[in-house]
Amino acid sequence: MAVEERLFSLVLALVATETGLTKAEVLSTVQGYRQRYQNGGDNSSLERQFERDKDDVRELGIPLETIEPPDDPGSNHNLRYRIPKGLYDLPSDITFTPDELMVLKLAAAVWREGSLSAESRRALTKLGSLGVESSDPVLGYAPSLRARESSFEPLSKAMDRGQVVAFRYLKPGETAPRRRRVAPHAVVLHDGRWHLFATDQDVAAKRTFLLSRIVGQVVTLPGQTFKQDGDGMGQQALAELDELWNASLAEVDVVPGSDAAVRLGKRQTSVATVGDRISLHYTDLNILADELAGFGPEVLVQSPPALRQAVISRLTGVRDAHDVQDPRGTS
Amino acid sequence: MTEASKSSRAPDKLAFLLSLVPYLMDHERIGVAAVAAHFGVSATRVREAVNLIAVSGVPGETRQYQHGDLFDIQWDEFEDNDVIVLTHLVAIDDAPRFSAREAAALIAGLQYLSSLPENADQGAIASLMAKLTRGASATPSQLAVAKSESTDAITVIRAAVGNNVQVEFDYVNSRGGQEHRRVDPLRIESVDRDWYLRGWCHLREAVRTFRLDRMSALTATDAPSGDHGAGLTLPDTLFESTAEDLSVVIELPEPGLALIADYAPEFPVTHVGGERVRTTLRVAHFHGLKRLVTRLAGLVTVIEPAEARDTVARWAEEGAAQYDAPALPPAEA
Repeated sequence: MAVEERLFSLVLALVATETGLTKAEVLSTVQGYRQRYQNGGDNSSLERQFERDKDDVRELGIPLETIEPPDDPGSNHNLRYRIPKGLYDLPSDITFTPDELMVLKLAAAVWREGSLSAESRRALTKLGSLGVESSDPVLGYAPSLRARESSFEPLSKAMDRGQVVAFRYLKPGETAPRRRRVAPHAVVLHDGRWHLFATDQDVAAKRTFLLSRIVGQVVTLPGQTFKQDGDGMGQQALAELDELWNASLAEVDVVPGSDAAVRLGKRQTSVATVGDRISLHYTDLNILADELAGFGPEVLVQSPPALRQAVISRLTGVRDAHDVQDPRGTS
Repeated sequence: MTEASKSSRAPDKLAFLLSLVPYLMDHERIGVAAVAAHFGVSATRVREAVNLIAVSGVPGETRQYQHGDLFDIQWDEFEDNDVIVLTHLVAIDDAPRFSAREAAALIAGLQYLSSLPENADQGAIASLMAKLTRGASATPSQLAVAKSESTDAITVIRAAVGNNVQVEFDYVNSRGGQEHRRVDPLRIESVDRDWYLRGWCHLREAVRTFRLDRMSALTATDAPSGDHGAGLTLPDTLFESTAEDLSVVIELPEPGLALIADYAPEFPVTHVGGERVRTTLRVAHFHGLKRLVTRLAGLVTVIEPAEARDTVARWAEEGAAQYDAPALPPAEA
């Protein structure tokens, strides 16, 4: 029997029951389980299957509830499971116009890969049940977002589940990664880069991390969970990054007509430019230094001094590593 | 396909089954082809789903899945005419809510779209986000996308694509030179904050990808675009390598591979000790490479050919040499 058939039967049975079904009732009566159920025998593998299925159903946003028996609290044996129909159904006053559906399709297509792409498609499938046909899409127009950092998926999952995670973080300006233990609150895209907003458990304070500077695996710490503060964390993280961006200003000179002049010129926010000097806001000095180093002799950094130094050390490092006298590389 | 990825599709199939039921309920008689078109799936997948729904149900009072406990359809209509008529419903009759992550994925996508000029109707976007939040079974995950500055170029090119006219602009190439280009715009794409025009370049007589932030003096012309419709398909990747491209061997720490994924997707990686690996990039010339390698300073080292190493070394050397003199205020222009 196909997995989706068992899951479908489980959802139907748990929606249909008012009082809930015990685990034994599910395993002995619901399609997909009952065929493998052994009356009075060992059903441990079937029980593990049921646990996994519950997780799968909940991941779809289906409110699968556990009810403790009032006369026997804490008893694992007599827990009852159900899906309250009122919480399952999309509220009936939520409707979408053909134009709105067209915009939602475009929003879903923004994610081209990864689990957010799959989840966007699933949301569109659910929207499809409303029977609204969308307006014609805009042709020749394909905005997309990517999260190429491998930490993106485990972090956003841990965030949803309220799990504390650990990872090695190479802080800008430091040379060796350090292990961090954090409670993730929000993952935000700011100035083209993904950031994690989290509580650093070791100092009990909110910190922002760049996903691109997380080294290696993100691991969840067994048994360490936390309660999410709820809505608004994403906007708070963006507001703090905006503040940092506004407060940090670099001045660079560019060679007229060069790639740097054209590209950086479009990014500058200050109208007051003198000659070929461009002012740039930034959130992370090392990230800006990487980008400016890429422009080679097209850019000369004037300030701040730390940025100037960071660009010089990148350029001399690349020069030395590619010295033709040493064809094996120096690193 | 691995066993894991096979079973991970079961939740998607479940979502389809749960969404199909209320849709069929609202459509007394509907052809398989129409359902497939509406949900954007194959007719085969619709037939499989209907076959499964029609024999599914609840255990019922007898716990035996009796006839009245199951969904039912008009089998003759389904088997003879490929038409679905649902005649008996069980347990569910409404659209399911969104999960926290499903709602969050669409909300973040909307935030990204809302920063673009043509979606200036912020009220409509805000209303959509509110509906998605209310339609989710839990508070949507905290994924957020900042407003990005949008450029007029997006508006100009989008209009040109819509009106099917050519565009003209000056373009800085990665060698540092400027060229005047005339292009039949086919599609405007973005990846994060970077925007690209893909179109037929009259100068190169081929499909090319252009970064919007490298364009200046962009205008839409009155000249109609050529007809490239049937014969031309745009590849999914932004940059295609060609037979004339040069191969460059680079070395980097393995975690850094993600940072060059756009440039070396299909090449094998060999381990050379520790976390370091070697791979091969395909580049049109070394001028793009020198910019890439200095942008990834300390991470990527070019191994061969010598000419590529030399081009990179000179680029970095020229950059570094500017700083040999102390910083002075620039002369007035």
